[in-house]
Amino acid sequence: MKKRLILSLGLLFLLFSIGSLLSIVYSYKITQDLKTVINLHRVEIIRQNLVINLQTVQSNLYTTGTVFGKELDVIVDNVAALDNSIRSCSGCHHSKEMTARLKDISSTIEQYEDAISYLITTTANQERIERLKMVAVGIGDILLHKTQEMSFIANKRLNEKTLKAIDAINKSRVILFITLIIAFFIALLIAFALTHQITRPVSRLVKAARAIAAGEIGYQTDYRDSTEFGELAESFNTMSLSLKEKQERMLHYVKQLTGLYNMTLSFYRLKDMDEVFGRLCMEIAELLDANQVELFLNDRKKGDFISHQAAYGLKVREPLSIPDNKVKSLFNLFRGEPIVSNDPDEIEGLSPILRGGEKNILVSWLSRKERLLGFIKVADKDEDFSEEDARLLTILSGHIAVAMENSELYKSLERQMIELREAQEQLIQAAKLAAIGELAANVAHEINNPLTSIIGFVELMKEYDDIELIKNRLEIIEHESIRARDIVRELLNFARKRPLQLSDVDINSILREVSLLTGTQAKSARVQIIEEYGEIPKMIGDPNQLKQVFVNLINNAIHAMPEGGRLEIKTSRIDEEISIIFKDTGTGIPADILPRIFEPFFTTKREKGTGLGLSISYRIIEDHGGRIDVESEEGKGTTFIIRLPVINPAFKEKFDRIKRG
Amino acid sequence: MKVFLNLIILLSIIFPPVVSGQEEILIGLIPEENIFRQMDRHRPLASYLSRKLGVNVRLTILSRYGDIVDSFVSRRMDGAFFGVFTSVLAMERLGVEPVVRPVNLDGSSTSQAYIFVRKGSGINGIRDMKGRRIAFVDRATATGYLYLIALLRENGISNLDSFFREYYFTGSHDASVHAVMDNRADIGIAKGRVFRKLSEKDPLIKNELVILFRSPEFPDTTLCLKKDMPESLKKRIRDTLLNMDRDRDGVEVLKALGAIRFMPATRDDFKAFFDVAKKAGIDIRNYRYR
Repeated sequence: MKKRLILSLGLLFLLFSIGSLLSIVYSYKITQDLKTVINLHRVEIIRQNLVINLQTVQSNLYTTGTVFGKELDVIVDNVAALDNSIRSCSGCHHSKEMTARLKDISSTIEQYEDAISYLITTTANQERIERLKMVAVGIGDILLHKTQEMSFIANKRLNEKTLKAIDAINKSRVILFITLIIAFFIALLIAFALTHQITRPVSRLVKAARAIAAGEIGYQTDYRDSTEFGELAESFNTMSLSLKEKQERMLHYVKQLTGLYNMTLSFYRLKDMDEVFGRLCMEIAELLDANQVELFLNDRKKGDFISHQAAYGLKVREPLSIPDNKVKSLFNLFRGEPIVSNDPDEIEGLSPILRGGEKNILVSWLSRKERLLGFIKVADKDEDFSEEDARLLTILSGHIAVAMENSELYKSLERQMIELREAQEQLIQAAKLAAIGELAANVAHEINNPLTSIIGFVELMKEYDDIELIKNRLEIIEHESIRARDIVRELLNFARKRPLQLSDVDINSILREVSLLTGTQAKSARVQIIEEYGEIPKMIGDPNQLKQVFVNLINNAIHAMPEGGRLEIKTSRIDEEISIIFKDTGTGIPADILPRIFEPFFTTKREKGTGLGLSISYRIIEDHGGRIDVESEEGKGTTFIIRLPVINPAFKEKFDRIKRG
Repeated sequence: MKVFLNLIILLSIIFPPVVSGQEEILIGLIPEENIFRQMDRHRPLASYLSRKLGVNVRLTILSRYGDIVDSFVSRRMDGAFFGVFTSVLAMERLGVEPVVRPVNLDGSSTSQAYIFVRKGSGINGIRDMKGRRIAFVDRATATGYLYLIALLRENGISNLDSFFREYYFTGSHDASVHAVMDNRADIGIAKGRVFRKLSEKDPLIKNELVILFRSPEFPDTTLCLKKDMPESLKKRIRDTLLNMDRDRDGVEVLKALGAIRFMPATRDDFKAFFDVAKKAGIDIRNYRYR
C-alpha cells in the first residue's frame, strides 16, 4: 500500500508538474508574443517621436532667419532628439529589411544634419543660402517620406504580430484549459482509485471491529490482499480468534467458579450433608464434564470407606466397601494430593476403588485436621483430566470436608442446645417454684380469710329459716368462694410449666393481677404499694413470663424493706417504649455488688433465694426485646426500670404466624 | 579639532563644494565642424565637469566664428573653446585667459590650414585661382581664412571680389571641404585636422582633392576662461581638465572628444599666428570679422 501511495502521489505530482510546465511554456510564449506587440507599439511611439522631431526641425528650418526662428541651441537640441529617436529605433529592430531601412534613414539624417549645419554656419549670398536651405528642406522631406513608409511597414507588421499574438494567446488558453480539465479528471481518477483502495479494506476492517464490539467475538473478515491492509486483516482475524478462545476459557472458568460457589454455598446453609450429596455428585460431573461421580465416606463404626448411595452415572449401583487400610495407603502414597490418571489400570493400588472399565479417573480426598473423612472419585471424562480439574476438585473437596465437619459440629451443637434449653427451662421452673413457695404462705392467708367467712356464714346459716336471708348469705359465700378460687387459679396459672405463649398483653392489667397476688404479703410486711398506671398501648408478649418478672421484682422489694416502706409502681409510654418502674424505699444494694445482681445463682438472701430470680427476669425481658436497668443507693432504696418495645419485630412475626394458624 | 577637520574633508568629498555664487558655467563652442557633431563631441565633457565641479556646466554653440567674441559678452559666457584666431581676438578684446588645449589623437596639439582643390581643376597655384569660386570657413579663423589672405597678400592680391568669381563662408571647416567636394566651390580652405578626419571617413576626399598649401602650425582649439572668474575656480577647472587622462571616466570623455589629454595653454603659444596675421595685414584690435 505504501508503494501504491507513493506511486499515486508521484503520478499526481508528475501530472501537476507537466501541467505547470505547460502553463509556464505557454505563459512564456504568450509573454513573448505580448512583448513583441508591446515592443512594436513602443517602436511606433519612437517613430512618432521621430516624425515629431523631424517636423520640429523642418519648422525650425523654415523659420530660420525669420522672427519665428529659434535659437541655435534649440535647433541643436531638436536635431539631437531626432538623432536619439533614430538611435533608439536602431537598437530594437533586427529584421534585415528594417535594419537596411533604418540604416538608410540614419544616413539620411546624417545628410540632413550636414545640410542644416551648412545652412546655419554658411555666410554667403542669399541665393546660396536659399539653395542650402532648399537642400536641407528637401532632405527633410525625403526623410519624412521614408519615415512614413517605415511606419506603414511597421504598422503592417504590428497588425500581423498582434493577430499572431492574439491567435497564440487563444491557442494557449485552449491548450491550458484542456490540459487543466484532463489533469483534473486524471487526478480525480487517481484520487478516486487511491481512496477506494484505502477505504475498501478500512471499511471491511471497521465492519469486523464493529462485529466484535457488538459481541460477535471470533468474527473473521474475509478481506485478503498483499498490502499492509491484508496483513492487518490477518492479524485482526488472529486477534479475534485469540479473543474468542480467551473468552471461552474465561466463560469456562466463570462457569466452574459459579458451580463451585453454588455448591459450596449450599453446604453452609445445610445442617445435614446427606441432603446435598445427590445433587453434589451431579454438579461435579457437570463441572468437570465427567460421566461418573462417586462419593466414599468413612464409616466410623466399621472403619471402612463405603460408597455413598448418592452417586452419578454409575452403571452398577451396589455399594462398594473398601477397607480402611487400602484407602489410607493410597492417601499416603499420594501424600494427600489428588490422583489424576488418564489410564487408571496402570496405577498400582488403585484397583480397590475402581469398579472396572473407567477410562480415566480423578480422586480427591476429603480430609479435615488429619482425619480422612472420605474421597470423591470422578471418572470417565470424554477428554483427559487436567491439573486444572484436579485443582478444582481439590478446592471443592476442601469445602465439602469443612461442610461435613460443620454439619457434624452443628448436629452436636444442636444436641447441646436442646440439652441447655431443657436445663434452662428446669431452672426457670425451679425459680418459679421458689417464688410460688414464697407466695404460698400469703396465698394461704388470702384464701383463709374467705374460707373463714364462708365457714362462719355456713355456721350461721344453719340457724336461719328465712330463705331470703339464707340467699343473701349464700351470695356472700359465693362471692368469697369465687375470690378464693381466683387466687388459687392465679397461683396455679403461675405455677404451671408451659412454653412461650404470645398474646396481646396489657401491662397495666398484669401489674394489677400481680398486685393482687402480692398484696397480702406487702400488707403483712407493712409495705405500702402505690400504683400509678399511665396510658400505655398493648404489646405482644408472654403474660405469664412477664408476670413472673413482676412478682419477682415485687418480692425482692418487699424483702428489701424489712421495716416496711413504700413501693411505687409506675407505667408510662416513652416514645416507642413502655416504661415500668419499681421504686422502693428499702435498704438499697451496695455499689460493689450492684453490677452482679443479674448473674445466675447470685443472691444476697442466702436462706430465701435461689439466686436465679433476677437473672431469669433479665433473660425474659431480653427475650421480649427490652432491658432492665437498676439504680440503687444504700440506705435509701432501689429502682428497677424495665423498658419494653411497643413492637418487638421477632415476636410480632411469630404472633402473626400463630394467628394465621 | 582634528575630528572636525576630518569631518569637513569627508563632507567635501561626499558633497563637492559648489562654486560660490556660480549656479552654472556656460561654455561656448565654435562651429569648427558640423555643429551637431561638435555638440555631440563636447557633451560628455560638460557632464564630466559638472560632476567634478559640483556645478552644472552647459554648452552653447555659435553659428559664426566671429560671433563668439560678441556672444561671449552678450550671453555671459564663462569660457569658450576658441579657435586660434578667436582666441587671440578674445584675449585682445575681452582679456580672456587661455587655460588648456586638447592634445589630438595623433599626439599633436596644433593644427595647420590646408588649401585644397579638386584634382584636374587646373589650379596649381595662386595665379590659377583667379576667376574661381572659393569657400572660406569664416573671417575669424586662421586655418579657414587668414592663412589664404596672407598668401594672397604675399602674391599681391588684396581685392577678393575682383580676384574670385565667388567667395563665401561655409561657417565650418568640414563644410568647406564638402563644398569643394560637391563642386559648390573650386578652392577650399580648412583646418588640417578636420580635413584629415574627413579623409579618413570618406576616402573619396583623399582621392578627389589635392592640397596645394599647408600653413605653419597654429595652436589648436583652446579653452579660454573669462577674466573675472575667481582664480580658485579657474584653477579647479584647469586641474580637473589636466588630470582627466588619469581618471577612467575622464579617458572615456577624452575619447569622445577626440583627444588623448589636455595640456596647459599660454599666450606664447600664439606667436605663429601673429606672424601670419602680420602678413595678412590684419590689426587684431580693429579687425572687422563680420
